[in-house]
Amino acid sequence: MAQSAYAATAATEFVFTRTFDASREDVWNAFTQPEHLKHWWGAPGTSVEIGRHELKPGGLFHYRMKFPDGRAMWARFVFREIAAPERLAWLNGFSDEHGGLTPNPWAPTLPPETLNTVILAEQDGKTLLTFTMVPFNASEEETRVFAGGIDRMKMGIGAAFEVLANYLAQRS
Amino acid sequence: MQDQLSSTFAALADPTRRAILARLTLGETSVTELAKPFEMSMPAVSKHLKVLERAGLIARAREAQWRPSRLEAGPLEEAASWIEEYRRFWEESLDRLDEYLREMKAAGTKSKAKSSGKKRPGTKSPKTKSKE
Repeated sequence: MAQSAYAATAATEFVFTRTFDASREDVWNAFTQPEHLKHWWGAPGTSVEIGRHELKPGGLFHYRMKFPDGRAMWARFVFREIAAPERLAWLNGFSDEHGGLTPNPWAPTLPPETLNTVILAEQDGKTLLTFTMVPFNASEEETRVFAGGIDRMKMGIGAAFEVLANYLAQRS
Repeated sequence: MQDQLSSTFAALADPTRRAILARLTLGETSVTELAKPFEMSMPAVSKHLKVLERAGLIARAREAQWRPSRLEAGPLEEAASWIEEYRRFWEESLDRLDEYLREMKAAGTKSKAKSSGKKRPGTKSPKTKSKE
């Protein structure tokens, strides 16, 4: 029950926002330039080494995360949309050393990639970041594009949480 | 072959199916009841129920004549916990970004300045920070 309540909380926070006390340009640069990314990007506790970083649609950001115990793993972005300084969309996933997509090592049955979108808006000298993430299944990409694609997936996720939250509220 | 998560999201992509699920959060009910709010034939509603059943989001009684449907929360919870894991990862990443932007500001470093990629004096790497 406690775990379910936790899941319901996650539901409403799937799309989330954050305000940074920095200019939009600075936040954009921190997200899109390798010399900044290496200072903050990567799984907690890891240090990041950048293999490739091609900021263009279809381009690859390929990087290696090194854990304190010496283990290392590669991961990647495939950029989809780049509209400086306000909108960045990419497919996020794990990869091999050559940049090929690999399953999520912690959840091999889940879709290996997510479509992530970051939108930056100026707000009283600060920057409001809105982050959206949806699971992405490349094998179904064509059907999704024809079916109205990504937007339908987004609605599906929001709805999953709504239905679940309702259900849990009724049950408790 | 579809994974469970994709089936869940695909089933939820349709507004009628979402409405059906919303109705079922109130308790189990029959196809006739479910069809009422929609201008839709019973076979059309049955079709949606089949999609939901295949995705594991509902279960339908076999024994009763009226075969009531009820909600199965398992796949929805799985979807929610999958999202939760990523959310946590992102919150932590944005915490580090926030810290990095503060450090840049404190050091008076303009991120738009052409950087050689080398470590600039006064720009501490968050990786080697020793506070907390």
